[in-house]
Amino acid sequence: MKAVLALLLLAASAASAATFSDEDARKIATHGPWPAPWSRDPSNRVSGNPHAIDLGERLFFERRLSVNGRLSCSSCHLPERNWTDGLPRAVGLKEVDRNAPSVVNVRYHHWFGWDGAHDSLWAQSINPILDPRELGMSAASVAKLLRQDKDLSCRFRRTYGSAPAPDDEKVLVDAAKALAAFQETLVSGRTAFDDFRDALARGDQAVMARYPEAAQRGLKLFVGKGACDTCHSGPAFTNGEFHDTGIPFFVRPGEVDPGRYGGIKKVLADRMNLLGPYNDDPKRSTAVGTRHVSLEQRNFGEFKVPSLRNLESSMPYMHNGSLATLRDVVKHYSEISPDRLHSDGEAILKPLHLSDSEVADLVAFLGTLSDGGGQYKRRPFPEDCR
Amino acid sequence: MRALLLAFLSTATAAQACELPGASAQKVQSGKYLVLYRTQPSPLKVGQHFALEFAVCPAPESVRVDATMPEHRHGMNYRPTITGSGEGPYRADGLMFHMAGRWELVFELRSGGKTERVAQSIRLE
Repeated sequence: MKAVLALLLLAASAASAATFSDEDARKIATHGPWPAPWSRDPSNRVSGNPHAIDLGERLFFERRLSVNGRLSCSSCHLPERNWTDGLPRAVGLKEVDRNAPSVVNVRYHHWFGWDGAHDSLWAQSINPILDPRELGMSAASVAKLLRQDKDLSCRFRRTYGSAPAPDDEKVLVDAAKALAAFQETLVSGRTAFDDFRDALARGDQAVMARYPEAAQRGLKLFVGKGACDTCHSGPAFTNGEFHDTGIPFFVRPGEVDPGRYGGIKKVLADRMNLLGPYNDDPKRSTAVGTRHVSLEQRNFGEFKVPSLRNLESSMPYMHNGSLATLRDVVKHYSEISPDRLHSDGEAILKPLHLSDSEVADLVAFLGTLSDGGGQYKRRPFPEDCR
Repeated sequence: MRALLLAFLSTATAAQACELPGASAQKVQSGKYLVLYRTQPSPLKVGQHFALEFAVCPAPESVRVDATMPEHRHGMNYRPTITGSGEGPYRADGLMFHMAGRWELVFELRSGGKTERVAQSIRLE
């Protein structure tokens, strides 16, 4: 009887343990280290500047940065909701067509927005300020606020060394650069996955054993049968590019969201892009993508690959918030219909036909990419700026 | 026979003379062309822009560079620009392999109304 029990236990343990090949280990290692190295954005002369971060943080939560004085960036990017809002589609002055993406870890991105319509974080930061469905401001109203409010004006001088310029557009761009400097500080913390990844790299069995078995099996699927890491690559679990994942792109009857196709057109036409006059880097060293991006028919209906870090607290999912839970997302990829993808598009996605336990394992793994929240503490603003 | 020998000798001479000044380079030979190339930076990383420095012998009239993922049926999201002439050195800027897996780097070399493709398989993790 004891022998049978031992055999059963052995069988159960064998069934639940994930083993990783050398190839798996190499792939897993590419998802770290975390936090990943980062350097200041040369296109933004105040990137990393503490005064700019301070000004940007105030502006991020500033309700006077909306035309009705009731909304701010933080209305859709709430710190306690992984810097998103929990809604399928964001609601500013009106409902928009897309889900509010998290702004955590945005410093690692090279395209911004679901369609990549902006090529810098500061250019992206201008978009919701001016969008009549979001904050509905104008360059003139932003400049007026920064010139007339004594505290903001003082902090602007501290950041840039001079008072807001007479040129409204220039003040708007400088406000956006301070907003970008603040957002660059928002980095998710280390996770159970990071501890496992580092332990696997150094062969530390004791630490590896602390990583839940279901998550280990999910990770094995992620880098193996699921090939999820083909697009969700690197330390931030995104390649930062765009793909069609079979999510319908009708926003309302008769109207479609062109996704990346529209995004490329917009970024190339945008005078605030990295090839334009507001790039502070004379070498245009971060403008390689803008200079070389190629508009193709297949870009229609492609959307940005989101980071998977802190995914658990950023539901609902996909560019239109159409999937409520992580399980729904995994099921979507498991049962994806190739007919829903462009016939002239990529041949990457195919139905995985995962079992219920495999779906649960993948969800368990994705859950270990979250830091548990609480990384951000709003800095105290004790002193008045004079 | 003599023609064959001459053709062989001419290719061998081209290969010998072909140079890409600087650090060590990869060699790819196909048909009459030899391509020497290196990437900047090296090694390549998924999702990171890179440039190619390369030389081609014998000198083609025109050069194009592209890359595809044959199994995924797609190319790059970026169109590189090329500077250089003759046998080179050439420089192609703006390339990016945005996904892990097997890429095929392709040099399209045109001379006398004929285009030849010199391809190199590159695997990225």
